[in-house]
Amino acid sequence: MAVLPPDLDAPGFARFLEELRGAVGADWVWSSEDDLGPYRDSFSPVWDTAEERHASAAVAPAEVEQVQAVVRIASKYSVPLFPISTGKNFGYGGPSPNVTGSVVLDLKRLNRVLEVDDRRNFALVEPGVSYFDLYRHITERGLKVMIDCPDPGWGSPIGNSLERGIGYTMPFFRDHYGASCGMEVVLPNGELMRTGMGALPGAKTWQEYRYGFGPDPAGLFAQGNFGVVTKMGFRLMPMPEHYRTGLITVPRRRDFVKLVDHVNYLSDAGLIGEAVYSSPLAPLMAQPDFLALATKLGGPADGDMDAAASAAGLPSWQVDLQFFGPEATTAASWDYAKDRILSDIPGARALDGDHFPLPATEQQMLNTTQPYRSAIRRFGALGVPSLGMWKIVSDDGHVGFFPVLPRSGEAVFEMQRVLGDALKEFPVRPFFNATTTPLYWHSFAFQMVYAPSVKRSDPDHNAVVHASMKKLVAVAAEHGWGDYRAAPIYQDDVAGTYSFNNHALRRFQEQMKDAIDPEGILAPGRGGVWPRRFRK
Amino acid sequence: MITGLDMDRRNLLKWSAIVPLAAAAPYTALAAVPQGVDALVIDRRHWPAGTPTPLAGLAAPQLFTIDGDVTQLWYQTLDPIWRKPGFVLGGVTGSDALFVLEVLAGDRGRRVTQRRVLDPVVAGLQPVSWIIAPHHPSVKG
Ligand SMILES: Cc1cc2nc3c(=O)[nH]c(=O)nc-3n(C[C@H](O)[C@H](O)[C@H](O)COP(=O)(O)OP(=O)(O)OC[C@H]3O[C@@H](n4cnc5c(N)ncnc54)[C@H](O)[C@@H]3O)c2cc1C
Repeated sequence: MAVLPPDLDAPGFARFLEELRGAVGADWVWSSEDDLGPYRDSFSPVWDTAEERHASAAVAPAEVEQVQAVVRIASKYSVPLFPISTGKNFGYGGPSPNVTGSVVLDLKRLNRVLEVDDRRNFALVEPGVSYFDLYRHITERGLKVMIDCPDPGWGSPIGNSLERGIGYTMPFFRDHYGASCGMEVVLPNGELMRTGMGALPGAKTWQEYRYGFGPDPAGLFAQGNFGVVTKMGFRLMPMPEHYRTGLITVPRRRDFVKLVDHVNYLSDAGLIGEAVYSSPLAPLMAQPDFLALATKLGGPADGDMDAAASAAGLPSWQVDLQFFGPEATTAASWDYAKDRILSDIPGARALDGDHFPLPATEQQMLNTTQPYRSAIRRFGALGVPSLGMWKIVSDDGHVGFFPVLPRSGEAVFEMQRVLGDALKEFPVRPFFNATTTPLYWHSFAFQMVYAPSVKRSDPDHNAVVHASMKKLVAVAAEHGWGDYRAAPIYQDDVAGTYSFNNHALRRFQEQMKDAIDPEGILAPGRGGVWPRRFRK
Repeated sequence: MITGLDMDRRNLLKWSAIVPLAAAAPYTALAAVPQGVDALVIDRRHWPAGTPTPLAGLAAPQLFTIDGDVTQLWYQTLDPIWRKPGFVLGGVTGSDALFVLEVLAGDRGRRVTQRRVLDPVVAGLQPVSWIIAPHHPSVKG
């Protein structure tokens, strides 16, 4: 489906493309339907419907000056650009833009690892550097740092962190935007800006002190549309000497409240990596009686859940803990965690897990020797990029709604009940039920997940998915829970829920957008921020 | 390191024999494998557990096997090769593995130039035979 940029006719578009070719070379500008296929969102629930967003062209500059040239040309023709780094944002829109007719600014050719310092523990990379590339750079040079990577490892530190994506190691590092330090940005007028210490000529601390002096605008570029990021720094964890795991189980449903409080303490004190919660009762969902109990309207009584657990001889909850550091420190931290939790929760049990020096062997990576059934995926936990998680992708992909909730057992029970009830009208599997556990991906908040699959051959199914996503966004917001990240087709819905004081935040962002990007050429609509030109 | 290979007909037939698809399907798939394919990928999930694999009979560097996950194959072998011009890759894999390879190939200016969906779907797994070849001028040999 060939489309034109908004407000541009075919001859104008042809002239625009010709200027782009002049700037980056004819081989690096694409506008045929065939060439643009990979820039569609292959996970889209609105695939081939009027709601799908299509690019009119794609352009791949090789260096920062070319990025600046492309931005200036786009400004001259008022053509919206949609910058991507590695373009693997599957589940959140893939590489497709917010506005049909946008030109995808594909930064894959800016692919240099500019610096990795394993004495001061940081990296500086360009947007086209993937987690695999960074990992290869580090391992080939024997550098003593560990990366924190999301799944699948083909994404990029810059693309992922600009989405505020997450990984699976220690709290400081697994919030990828939080672990960033220093940006270089091409602004909508084509000018180059550096944030933090990068603004001070000659400073050697760009990747060590993120603020510099005065207001720090770096946050505007994450889930935002104020510039094209061309370099970014990241803090890296010094390669830990040792890795240790342990499992804690608790018998009763309400024990989850205390368990979460203890784990919060361990995490905020810097003693543990990602804590992975699960319920040993989840497999019972295959039994109709238990399914009915765990999905009961209004939520089940604690006593009924406890009775089901004891009839099955299972604990209600468990948490996989992970420790990084010197061997003795990991052992002491695990002993402390056991004492702390077991002395406070009657019936809690602790199981010692695998532990070994890092880097791990192949067998250790495959996690075959754990003495209990563990929910940890070692590749993510140990910062080794992988594509293996693709196995969870079913049908033609999925969309994701990940509401943020407080780190408390009570909040978890409330979300299980409220969103479980809200989903009942839709023929989808019960994502929210009395065994659903939170994800401890972001460092200081929980999330839960709704990620229904999409099927290109079944528009009715996709319509159900689409409607259920919108309903969950709205119902969650009524309870103070907001999505952390969304595909372009849901960004307005999600941004609309962050509405304190008559949408003061959005109005502030719009004022800035109009001032910084008067033509509205950079990713209009991203993050729910629309320039005047496109505002309805 | 893979070099250009010349897979002869005997080897191609052996390769087909280890892919337990409907009787005619592997041969149909192979008929689509043109001359000049530099290496082949097969997905172990398509042959039943316990079936002896005649892989030893094939020239090892010319044949790659995966278990659905393409991480090691891509990271160790294909990524370095695909950064240079040339190299035609053929395979019979699950459609999921092909999707991942196709995306990775696209990053390096390569396209799926032939694709044939094969019967039967085994355990929810859709086998596909395919060819990935250089497309962008920067990697055309
Ligand atoms: C099976 C599966 C598992 C997943 N697991 C995880 C996970 O563990 N953690 C996680 O976070 N995600 C996960 N994802 C989602 C997604 O795959 C990753 O977040 C991925 O890293 C995002 O793609 P990318 O890094 O290529 O970013 P890109 O697609 O390049 O960028 C994302 C967005 O950021 C903006 N952007 C990118 N680059 C720039 C730039 N230079 N300047 C300005 N704006 C820019 C654009 O709007 C772009 O759409 C998963 C997806 C799947 C299918």
